[in-house]
Amino acid sequence: MIRKKIDIPLIIVLTLLGLFILVPMGSAFEYSIRNGLEGGYSFKNYIWAFNQDDFGHYLLRSAWLASLTVLITLLILVPTMTLLHLSNSKFRPLIDGLSLLPLVIPVVAFAVGAQIALPEFVQSTVFELPFLYFILALPYAYRSLDIGLNAIPLKTLTEAARSSGANWRNTVVHVITPAVRSSVMGTVALTFALSLGEYTITVLLHWDTFPTWVTYVAQENLLGAIAISMIALIVPFAVLTSISLFAPDRSMKESK
Amino acid sequence: MSNQSLTVKSVSKNFAGVKALDNFNLEVEVGELVALLGPSGCGKTTALRIVAGLEKQDSGAIRVGDTDITSVPAYKRNMGMVFQAYSLFPNLSVEENVAFGLQMRKVDKKVRLKKAHELLDLVGLDSQSKRFPHQLSGGQQQRVALARALAFEPEILLLDEPLSALDAQVRTNLREEIRRLQLSLGTTTLFVTHDQEEAMAISDRVGVMSNGRLEQIDIPDVLYNNPASTFVANFVGTMNHIPAIASGDTVNIFGKQVRIKNSHSGSGEVSALVRPESITVMRSQGAGQAKIVTRSFLGASSQIVCQLPDGAIIQSLMPSQSTGELHPGEEVNLSISLDEVLVTHAKIT
Repeated sequence: MIRKKIDIPLIIVLTLLGLFILVPMGSAFEYSIRNGLEGGYSFKNYIWAFNQDDFGHYLLRSAWLASLTVLITLLILVPTMTLLHLSNSKFRPLIDGLSLLPLVIPVVAFAVGAQIALPEFVQSTVFELPFLYFILALPYAYRSLDIGLNAIPLKTLTEAARSSGANWRNTVVHVITPAVRSSVMGTVALTFALSLGEYTITVLLHWDTFPTWVTYVAQENLLGAIAISMIALIVPFAVLTSISLFAPDRSMKESK
Repeated sequence: MSNQSLTVKSVSKNFAGVKALDNFNLEVEVGELVALLGPSGCGKTTALRIVAGLEKQDSGAIRVGDTDITSVPAYKRNMGMVFQAYSLFPNLSVEENVAFGLQMRKVDKKVRLKKAHELLDLVGLDSQSKRFPHQLSGGQQQRVALARALAFEPEILLLDEPLSALDAQVRTNLREEIRRLQLSLGTTTLFVTHDQEEAMAISDRVGVMSNGRLEQIDIPDVLYNNPASTFVANFVGTMNHIPAIASGDTVNIFGKQVRIKNSHSGSGEVSALVRPESITVMRSQGAGQAKIVTRSFLGASSQIVCQLPDGAIIQSLMPSQSTGELHPGEEVNLSISLDEVLVTHAKIT
């Protein structure tokens, strides 16, 4: 009988990583089910959260803003980065560096400058937020896609698609994007999560979204606000996990 | 399938000041398989990529049949291409890969899958149609790539060293398969390779390239037996460089006066280019013209390597039955069976 070798270092790393993620989440959850001064545990904070009139309104608003951000990110980044990789441009290291700027520039300076750069009809509506969220998510989304594009024979696949009769749009949609599927999924998850939880830029530009509303209700019921935050954490996590589970990589699925 | 002829007219291409193609001309007849053969950097792949539309030429024109396609983008050229690197789309199954070109041409799904299965049947992989590229061997992947390139009935088939990543046995089998398919479908084909055996084995004509130009294009026999230049003579097959003295338009090789067929300047020392099979080695009664270094039995023929007194090495290929009495260290005489040879002035060692 062949026994599978146990990879102890891997188990240690995964355990530490799991603790790093789960301990704060578990602590927040434990805090959210406390009964306050009365002591004990119950789900009354969650019941309170669901009974708030604006809960669904702001959660949905942030969710569609985050979805719009994901769409903008994919529409801009996938073709741009494909062309950037194909061109083998000597400016690529420079562009790699520029993509990190949103991490360096203070959000206050960035928010005002970036808002002015947007067209006026966008500036006056809540639609300015997805464009600004896109810039905030750029360093993470860029790197996620960069890893994927570096891992495939991009030039050969593109040329094979082109010589088979695919125009640029079909090449990106039918060949490149599915070939870097896991990177695209990573980009979607990172961009969605960052957009859903973004607070600073939203407040600076005087918009109300789910995170700003949570801050507002926290003044009235801190434990309730923690419960709301837990829901806001679990819902997108569940959605993204479902996407991964129900739409896995076809080629990997077939090979099992 | 509407097979067409291919014409490449006066195409030039520079990469950062380096000439990749220099006034390159080529004609491939309908249904013909032409191989472009040459050393690395001779421009053969650049020529193929320009024909495919994946590279843009600086000047010149490309025609398919009577149609000028010089400015037509790659995806509208209707040319199937098989690449050196494995190029199957990893997210698509084998049948979807083969049907991809038809999908891009908006062919009905049932029709394109039927066609894909026909092509997979032709390359012997119909049973693998539901698999994904990473589940196939290298040879199988190139077979699927060939099926994909042929599925949409291209006017021209382009092969960019499709066998170079495969092991020897698979290479031999697949090149025969490519030829069989090409002949049965009658597809006009341009095949780029650096492997002369591959080119000679399956091509109707072989074009030898050097420095961005076509040195000679002809049927394999003529290319081998009657090379037009010393470059072609040296590049195709094994060639001896025999030190000899030229006198006018003849040269004395092993005591035989032979006519020189290429232009050269005046008399004096030259190197005569002679194939191993044109040299006969005979036992000498006394001191001979050369000494046998090695004798290798190759089956029907044997290779005899001799050394001349000046150190030059001469190879001879003779029927094995007539080499039984030849042994290393023996003094021998040499003769050649040619009446005309190519010569060079530089002695190549």
